[in-house]
Amino acid sequence: MTLYPVLYHSNMSEFNTPTQRIIAAATLISQGAEAKVYKAELHPPAISGSTSDEGYESEPVLIKHRFNKQYRHPTLDASLTKSRVAGEARAINKCLRAGVNVPGVRMVDLQEGVLGIQWIDGQSIRFLLGGGAEGEEEVEEVDDDGFEEDATESNEDSLKEYNITQDDTMQLIGKEIAKMHKADIIHGDLTTSNMMLRRPSASDQVPELVLIDFGLSYTSSLVEDKAVDLYVLERAFASTHPASESLFGTVMKAYEKEAGKEWKTIGRRLDDVRLRGRKRSMIG
Amino acid sequence: MQSYDYPHFPDYASNFHFALFTNVSNAADLRNRLVQASTMQGEEGEAERQAVDFAFIEATLICSSLHLRSAILNSVLSQSQGTLRTKTVHSEILWNLNPTNNISDAIRRYGVSPSTTSLIVVRIGPPSPPSTIQAQMQEVVSGTLSPISELKNITDWAKVRKYHKIGQKMDKDPIKDTQKAHEIVLSTVAMKSVVV
Ligand SMILES: Nc1ncnc2c1ncn2[C@@H]1O[C@H](COP(=O)(O)OP(=O)(O)O)[C@@H](O)[C@H]1O
Ligand SMILES: [Mg+2]
Repeated sequence: MTLYPVLYHSNMSEFNTPTQRIIAAATLISQGAEAKVYKAELHPPAISGSTSDEGYESEPVLIKHRFNKQYRHPTLDASLTKSRVAGEARAINKCLRAGVNVPGVRMVDLQEGVLGIQWIDGQSIRFLLGGGAEGEEEVEEVDDDGFEEDATESNEDSLKEYNITQDDTMQLIGKEIAKMHKADIIHGDLTTSNMMLRRPSASDQVPELVLIDFGLSYTSSLVEDKAVDLYVLERAFASTHPASESLFGTVMKAYEKEAGKEWKTIGRRLDDVRLRGRKRSMIG
Repeated sequence: MQSYDYPHFPDYASNFHFALFTNVSNAADLRNRLVQASTMQGEEGEAERQAVDFAFIEATLICSSLHLRSAILNSVLSQSQGTLRTKTVHSEILWNLNPTNNISDAIRRYGVSPSTTSLIVVRIGPPSPPSTIQAQMQEVVSGTLSPISELKNITDWAKVRKYHKIGQKMDKDPIKDTQKAHEIVLSTVAMKSVVV
């Protein structure tokens, strides 16, 4: 049994629902404009019987809480939140079924605007490429529960620690995105923060590239949507990882290989999208 | 038998227990008993309903403890929000395990049937001594109480994949293939409240 400080206990009555209590006991990881993200415990180990009936006993979850927006009408806000949580869960399920590496769903509470997903033990590509923290959004990790991770950790050797070269990492990225597009899923926010490398379980294994954050994703078979998805990533590489042209080139080569004959039209459209982007920036 | 205490669950449902029984010999009788208990009148009916106040689950369709616990989590969430789709928190577990939105399908597939030989029994409620609960379970089920780790030899993956429409091979490596199928099952249960 964990003993909580008295203050914590006296506040506990505020947390009326199971979901609110899960969040109250969780650790805040990041706060965006739409959601707060926490690391939480959903399924505590058994108190009697075999306490390690499988390997998931200690698996934490990532909780994404889409909080109320004061500036939105309450009814509109509630229904928008519900559809976004549901949409993200649907996209994840679709990806899993298409064999795309994504964290699985662990809980959904539409009323509270909460999505719980499988915790990925690893690091974002942004961090691993030395892109630094994600601006002001990042919150200092409070190390109150024995969970590792230090946001300010040096990342010079981090890819080495993951047993993978930069080039191979880029190839994993291109392949995973192509698999996702083949299933007609558009991510909607492809950045190096929204992809992670999962720490390999054994020293001889290759880490897995995992796509995360399907909050803006949608289903589409349109070449245009896939090309724009790639363009967004290209821009993200350019702004977060300067001198990264060759990196993105490797991503695209792997994408091309996985996409097969689809590539011709998508690649051509990507050129169009780039041109439009350049024109726009010349005018604007 | 496994016992759990979830601090985030409401007091009336903060604990749950489940046990795996193999070589079950009274599945047909048990099923009849459940049907009768639901309509029995008076004090006798109350006592009978209390005696069988469990979820009885076809164990061959359960992939892991986490699979079962995901369905239990959903059921307690719905109970606490007053949004149960079925009569009790126990029948709600069957609802949550079934990927389609049909209550009688859920009971037919995931509940106890005359052909059941491996059974998982679940009780959700306020804290109570595991030994008492286990005795109550053994009172109603004739079978061998087995460790939950036995589940890995019991799961009928062909049937699980059929119900969850996981047709194609997910990976060349058979172990990874099963892991990926398992992940789809877990996610499907966890997002039961989302209309796919
Ligand atoms: N499944 C996960 N496991 C571990 N960390 C995660 C997971 N999902 C997200 N994160 C971390 O939390 C951050 C925010 O999550 P994300 O889903 O991208 O939310 P947001 O919409 O706020 O960007 C990510 O950049 C990543 O560092
Ligand atoms: Mg993000």
